[in-house]
Amino acid sequence: MDKQLDLLQGTLDMLILKAVSLGPLHGYGVLLRILQISKDRLEIQQGSLYPALYRLEHQGWIESEWGESENKRKAKYYRLTAAGKRRLQSEMEKWNAMADIIAGILGARPEET
Amino acid sequence: MRIAARIRSWLSAILHRPRTEREMDAELRFHLESRAEDLVRAGLPREEALRRARIEFGAIESTKEECREARGSNLLESLMQDLRFGLRMLRKSPGFTAVAVLTLALGIGANTAIFSVVYDVLLRPLPYAHPEQLVCLYQSKLQDGMKMTGSSYLDLEEWRGHNQVFSELAGAQRHDLTLTGRGDPSVVDTVVLTPEAFSLLQEKPLAGRTFLPEDGNKGAAPVVILSESLWRERFGADPGVVGTSVNLDQRSFTIIGVMPADFRVPLFTERQQIWIPLAQDPLFGGWMPRRGGHWLRVMGRLKPDVSLAQAQAEMDGLSARLAQEYPDVNAGWSVRVTPLQQILVGNVKTALLVLLGAVGLVLLLACVNIANLLLARATSRAREVALRQALGAAHGRILRQLLTESALLGSLGAVAGILLAYWGVHALGAFLPPELPQFNPIRVDAWVLCFALLLSLAASLVFGLAPALLASRSSTHTNLQEGASRSGEGGGRRRARRVLAAVEIALAVVLIVAAGLLARSFLSLTSVNPGFNPERVLKAEVSLPQYQYSTPQQWTAFSSALLERVQAQPGLRDSALAVPLPLADGYVNLGFSIPGAPPLPPGTPATADYVSVSPEYFRVLGIPLLRGRAFTPADAPSTPRVAVISEAFAQMYFPNQDPVGKHLVFGFPPNTNVTREIVGIVGDVRDVGLQQEPGPMMYVPFAQEPFWGGAVVTKTTLAPSTAFSEIRQVVQGIDKNLPVTDAGRFSDAIATTVAQPRFRAWLLGLFGVVALLLATAGIFGVISYSVSCRTQEFGVRIALGATPRAIRGMVLRESLRLAAFGLAAGILASLALAQFLKSQLYGVGVRDPLTFVATAILLLAVALAAGYIPARRATRVDPLVALRYE
Repeated sequence: MDKQLDLLQGTLDMLILKAVSLGPLHGYGVLLRILQISKDRLEIQQGSLYPALYRLEHQGWIESEWGESENKRKAKYYRLTAAGKRRLQSEMEKWNAMADIIAGILGARPEET
Repeated sequence: MRIAARIRSWLSAILHRPRTEREMDAELRFHLESRAEDLVRAGLPREEALRRARIEFGAIESTKEECREARGSNLLESLMQDLRFGLRMLRKSPGFTAVAVLTLALGIGANTAIFSVVYDVLLRPLPYAHPEQLVCLYQSKLQDGMKMTGSSYLDLEEWRGHNQVFSELAGAQRHDLTLTGRGDPSVVDTVVLTPEAFSLLQEKPLAGRTFLPEDGNKGAAPVVILSESLWRERFGADPGVVGTSVNLDQRSFTIIGVMPADFRVPLFTERQQIWIPLAQDPLFGGWMPRRGGHWLRVMGRLKPDVSLAQAQAEMDGLSARLAQEYPDVNAGWSVRVTPLQQILVGNVKTALLVLLGAVGLVLLLACVNIANLLLARATSRAREVALRQALGAAHGRILRQLLTESALLGSLGAVAGILLAYWGVHALGAFLPPELPQFNPIRVDAWVLCFALLLSLAASLVFGLAPALLASRSSTHTNLQEGASRSGEGGGRRRARRVLAAVEIALAVVLIVAAGLLARSFLSLTSVNPGFNPERVLKAEVSLPQYQYSTPQQWTAFSSALLERVQAQPGLRDSALAVPLPLADGYVNLGFSIPGAPPLPPGTPATADYVSVSPEYFRVLGIPLLRGRAFTPADAPSTPRVAVISEAFAQMYFPNQDPVGKHLVFGFPPNTNVTREIVGIVGDVRDVGLQQEPGPMMYVPFAQEPFWGGAVVTKTTLAPSTAFSEIRQVVQGIDKNLPVTDAGRFSDAIATTVAQPRFRAWLLGLFGVVALLLATAGIFGVISYSVSCRTQEFGVRIALGATPRAIRGMVLRESLRLAAFGLAAGILASLALAQFLKSQLYGVGVRDPLTFVATAILLLAVALAAGYIPARRATRVDPLVALRYE
């Protein structure tokens, strides 16, 4: 696993929210899902995942519950709350707007500046 | 913002800390194991997989810490961290910690102890139901200078029958009776009262019953109520005591009840052992039908919702009506309704508040001292703080950590202080002047503990804030620089420390001036000439049971037999009889008139203190005869009535005349007025109190005005115990049932009258010493630090040829400059504050120059002494070593 990238501030939160929005996940599952969606291109730093999860839960965007994992072990599952859903929506809009702007800037040609 | 979610997660983090910790561990473990399983599936051996999983995860502890922070529990966490760190810091410098905790403990302990007294005396509600309804009623006749006197029984009856504001009124007086029947005869402290007193106070007996209204009737069977302490001591806590009888002054009384130990009639601060109805008292019972007279203390309970002002208005109306109805006895008299608590606290309030203020200053001084110590430490920790700042610690975070350390010190100080207070309260209890109106033994209770805790919290803030602010505000850059160089102490801190040392000196000056003034006042009080010489004089009291000895003839017979036999004893020749004794007993102030004299200007009351004495009295007490003659054995009941007056009497009422041969009309009790010829003038005597200028006095021969008891005074070289046993033998040789009480040295009896000023002077003196020690430590600390900072400078100076003398002078000058500033500020503050002491002083002004000058000299000397050791160290600086420091 050497595909760790430096993420922009706040991006990790958005990715976690997105991952969890697809269905309840435990922490390791979040990691795997992001890896899977990104087709193995993005790996979250394991150490920073849990503080982020705790922060999101503290802010009320996700909630947690203990359940049983696929390998029959007790695991803590996170799910998106209603507030989390709204938050994810607005984060995505912001991200897309920002991506457009940045793409516009990066796509600029020399004579236009 | 999801406030609810935040609060929930924060709360669960605090409340379920072990659970959330466990859950976090489980969650992370699950992660590691899941990852390891995936690695095993990828082909790694299990051990290796676990190791890899852990390495990939990174520092697990710091992740946990971040999680905790994210969860919102970091406030508590960091507090715990600060506490742990603070404790470590305190343990690292045990000397500093010990000094600081000890200083604080002294301050907090002294404050807590004094506060417990203040609380008990001034603030604690009286231990009766609805104490706010309890009032005292005193009469005054201002035009005659009569203030706060009692009332007559008939006045009380009129008030009881015609008011709408009191639910009950009752009267009481003290009178000691002789208890016989079980064990040795003894005098018991008796309160005689109208039966309603008990229902007024709403107190329940321990056994039996309290008085019923019919117990107060004239002719009712004599009944008595015992105190729990007397019941235990004298009756062995006999449960069958109710219904049995005892003899009081040789008359049989039936015991009807026992009152619990803490009960007393609040009008009197003295011990109370038994209570009897007024009508049954051999002395006051006879005074009940008399109109006029002001001997009965009256208390009342206001009806619910009646204000003090309403009660006062009602009593104003009533006394006006009584003045019209009985102009000869009630004209000019007014009634004042005063809350009971106010009466009880009366004259000790200012004294206690002065003490509280003084002890508060001691605490402030302790705080300043610790602030100074903390500043010195902050200097040596400047590098630590700078490093933390450089590593990204926020100002607030550092401030919080430093304040946590102060609070930790404060709590340690509080614990030690409270222990000290427990002990101090016991010591104070033994030390307290007896007239303090305390109801319960003074103790450290929940309120007092709250006070101590609040105090220590406030103290930690006071001494912690300034150093912490200075430490966290100063810039990282300069601190690192200063840390790197030897100088160590920033200009701001150095200035702050000097200011603090000067403040310490100023506070010490205030305390020492106050202590000095009180000490001087106490000295002038005890060195005042009372007008008689109590040296080698013993006194003992005998009182006759009045049912057995009911006539003045019996009193005279007893007293002459007593004196004759006492004087016959070897060594007791110089004995006399008197009632009442100056200072040791209460005084009796009587009105009189001078036949044929022009009326006195209004506002000059014609009253004088009355004493009945045997002929030898003036000689035994060394009261000088100024004119005419003293009494002789020839002044007998059968000869014309005579009197001797004091010098003040002569000057006040016979200015520019010779009073000898003139006549006076007076009598005791006041309605037995007879004309007496003045036969002599004697020197003035202070009979009310040492601090009171002697007033006019009139003496009568005991034989002509006998009393049912009196004090034997004897000037003797015998040991007191020998003398007393001889007197006791004589008394019991006349009547075996008679007790001799209050035996002691006359000088001791006088000393107890100044117990309060002595107590105050000692206590403030103690505070002054503590203040001086703290201030000395403060100066010493500042100067020795300053010397160690200037080591290099001194080295250079010595290398350039400065003499030790010059170096010493420099340091001492710095110390003196500090002292001078503090002294100036302290003296100004003392001049302003001394006004509060005014009422506590006798024979010394609030600006007594001697006290102020002595304080100034003392503090300058202390400053020199405190500066001397560092100064000597400065002269011994080796220039080579000092320069190599750099």
